[in-house]
Amino acid sequence: MDKKVAIVGFRMKSAPDLVTTRERLTFELTRGLFDDLGIDRTAVDTTIFSTNDFLDGRTISNVFLDGPAGAYMRDESKVEMDGINALMYAVIRILSGQYSTAMVVALGLTGSQVSPYLHVEYQLSPVYDRQMRLLNELSAAAFQARSYLARYGYSEKLLDEVAAQALSNAAANPNQARKIPGASAEQVASSSPYYEPLRELHCYPPTDGGCAMLLASAERAKELTDKPVWVLGMGQSIETFYLGERDLAKSPSTAQAAQRAYEMAGIRDPKAEIDLAEISALFAHQEPLLAEALGLLEEGKAEEAYRSGDTAISGKMPLNPSGGALGGHPISATGIIRTAEAVRQLRGEAGDNQVGKAEVAVVHGQDGPCAQQNAVLVLGI
Amino acid sequence: MRNVAIVGIGYTPVFVSKRRDVCIPEMISEAVENAFKDSGLTPADIDAVVFGNMQTFEGVNLPHLWSADYIASLGKPVMRIATGGTTGMSAFHAGYYHIASGLHDVVMVVTYEKQSEGDSQVGLMGIITPEIMAMLAAGIDVTGQKGMGAIGGGSAGGISYQASSYLHHSGAGIEHIDAIAAMERRNAAKNPYAHLKDPEATAEKIAQTPLISWPIRFGHVCPTSDGATVCILASEEKAAKLVDKAAWVWAVANCASDATTGNLIEGIITDPAEQMPAQIAARQAYERAGIEDPKKEIDYVEIYNGFAHQTLMFLERIGMCEVGEAHKLLEKGELEMSGRLPVNSSGGVVSTNAIGTSAMNRVTECALQILGRAGEHQVEKEVHKALAHGWGGLMQYVTITILADKPKKL
Amino acid sequence: MEETRVVNATWDISTFKFRIEGFGINNMLKKMKEAKLLGNRCHQCGTVYLPANFYCRKCHIAIHEPAEISDHGEVMSYTIGYADVRGNPLDEPRVSLMVKLDGSDTWIMGAGEDMKPEDVHIGMRVKVKWAEQRVGNLQDMESFIPE
Repeated sequence: MDKKVAIVGFRMKSAPDLVTTRERLTFELTRGLFDDLGIDRTAVDTTIFSTNDFLDGRTISNVFLDGPAGAYMRDESKVEMDGINALMYAVIRILSGQYSTAMVVALGLTGSQVSPYLHVEYQLSPVYDRQMRLLNELSAAAFQARSYLARYGYSEKLLDEVAAQALSNAAANPNQARKIPGASAEQVASSSPYYEPLRELHCYPPTDGGCAMLLASAERAKELTDKPVWVLGMGQSIETFYLGERDLAKSPSTAQAAQRAYEMAGIRDPKAEIDLAEISALFAHQEPLLAEALGLLEEGKAEEAYRSGDTAISGKMPLNPSGGALGGHPISATGIIRTAEAVRQLRGEAGDNQVGKAEVAVVHGQDGPCAQQNAVLVLGI
Repeated sequence: MRNVAIVGIGYTPVFVSKRRDVCIPEMISEAVENAFKDSGLTPADIDAVVFGNMQTFEGVNLPHLWSADYIASLGKPVMRIATGGTTGMSAFHAGYYHIASGLHDVVMVVTYEKQSEGDSQVGLMGIITPEIMAMLAAGIDVTGQKGMGAIGGGSAGGISYQASSYLHHSGAGIEHIDAIAAMERRNAAKNPYAHLKDPEATAEKIAQTPLISWPIRFGHVCPTSDGATVCILASEEKAAKLVDKAAWVWAVANCASDATTGNLIEGIITDPAEQMPAQIAARQAYERAGIEDPKKEIDYVEIYNGFAHQTLMFLERIGMCEVGEAHKLLEKGELEMSGRLPVNSSGGVVSTNAIGTSAMNRVTECALQILGRAGEHQVEKEVHKALAHGWGGLMQYVTITILADKPKKL
Repeated sequence: MEETRVVNATWDISTFKFRIEGFGINNMLKKMKEAKLLGNRCHQCGTVYLPANFYCRKCHIAIHEPAEISDHGEVMSYTIGYADVRGNPLDEPRVSLMVKLDGSDTWIMGAGEDMKPEDVHIGMRVKVKWAEQRVGNLQDMESFIPE
């Protein structure tokens, strides 16, 4: 896709507990974004919310957010999925020509308000999985971790190394919720066991967070910012629901989504053309697994990639230089926060987390048990 | 902007109180199959899927995940839209934008509700659960008997205030609500996909149903239904190859207010009958469709009316008649299937309410009227342009879709 | 048709710790002990909110200016309850009002007392009936009564 739609600004916030209400968080993020850009709410043609009613503990949970987001008497809609899909809808709406700007507001208060794992519990089939009482988000992830390690004969240490890299990156990032300075593989390996082989520090932490992001058409983007970041490609795909029917060691829907996004962006050789990746890996094993599906890592070579430093901030293919979802996973907002982190990189504003060359980035978001549904964005400057 | 056409519609064979023979994905797959039959398309023809239902109602989070195998979506992009009562039309709008953007050519929009598997009253109260908890802590009497914040209205809740204000400002009486409810029950009797049907319904019969809270009676209220609706949309190029005749989208629009009726914590309450979002969205839609005088140019209207007075109230709000005129049109028989401005010949939401489908069915019913395929409930006049209205959120969100019998000049 | 199995399940909302906006209601409750109503005003557009709102929905700015509201006002809408939330008939009809208190741009709901259902109408003037013993909760306002 040519440079038709740009990200022109964002505000994000994460913490284990933000000690705030959804309304205040929404107001602070959107007011801040408008102030950054020197606009008021009438400059936003449409607002797309991304929140989850099961996590918000209420039905139609965005109705109280319309006012605080500045959408009073204005156009809005809601994508109840990971926020990256709300962003895709914003892009789609701008491409239609009906809107010249679109704002995405994504929130998840899964640090202070509710156990985040409830989210997947309620995704399970009420007539089978919930009756069996074997599956929950963590046990499903553990099945996936085990089958991924087994496929390539990786040792469990890989999980510790992946997590240690992500947690060190997160510790340097002011936007992250989980801060463990100097996190080591040994520290990860000695954290509390959850579901074997997963331990606490292999898993995302309960997180409060949100992000408001403004997108604009090419013409409008030039008026709003000197540093537009362009959406060059996007793709999404879903696979079968029942875990028993899936090859959990691979993510074909991520591969499909990536193929669509790369085709749109004109990317033929992702390893060579992409400078960094922000991947919504909720569990340590998912980062190399999804990076393989995204065509960024060679299959079966994850141990070498992590040990050689290729995946580090200074490496050839930095994966989650922000620290990724192991540093914070405010469910519903995670994909859009990954996007915001990629924007920081592409603008050269990522501070201690800044990678060397940052011209093209790939961003990933997921929904469903063991990443049943995946979405991929390609961003560039 | 590209033109978008409706090329296929599929309903579940029935909309009823309890579908005990199927689970949620199985029920949805019936409508998917019917949409394929109707359009002659196969799963391979679908580029993307949009999916929607009333969030939380059946206790399944992101039910498109569970349904993925049943809606021909594997390997395709699927977007879940959820805006409450309007979900069906918001999903339709998302399908429209998928194509209008130029990114996709054929998109399937899937909506459903299986209300028998949840507690819809609890689901609706869930909109303000935290606020109710907080108000209890602050000393509110939730039985509505005394004190500030006494919501009143019984199970009809804030709707009663809306109806009351509508009657006051329009000059209509409760007998008009009875009459419109009766008309819609009679219309429903001619629609195979309607739930509450009564070919013999009269205003007098409705007036005999007990009052819940003035001016709302049991006979004015929608049922809770199980059912699914699927609509397949295509770009102009694709539609030309697929069908001889299609219903074309001329405009979509929506608008939100922030009404917090029943909520003392955020505390903003204004007239629930004002429905400014309906006025704004309709105005936008007319502008986008190039309609100068909706009263003359729109031939048929489907109103989202969970409660019977809303047919009349929203006709006024969207500018299909003057304020205070809707009940007079009703008296003259102009809203009937044989009338000058036929409305809800499907029976409306007040006769059938599988919530996720309700706002979508307003669109598909307009399409059937334009295509002349509404069967027994086809209106007498020719329908060239039709307007579908959706209402939801916390009484504060409105969607509008305008369809026509030919593509819009771009 | 063969019936499928019915699976009972509940949605356990007790696991939530909701944080609720306290800005408006807390200030209001404090003042209610003195039989006074406190809202706030947008310094930009002048809209008066009761209970106070932390932002102005029109201007989308944070607002702090307190505004005292009269305890007299006008009925903007009403309903007469005949059944409870489960649909069971009530012993006697119950009047509930939406009232715009003088000086406020938003409305509040409350029970109507000392008025016959048939006399209630939009535009009717009412005033707050305060409890004699006020403790700083919503019950301090017992009802609306005719002015």
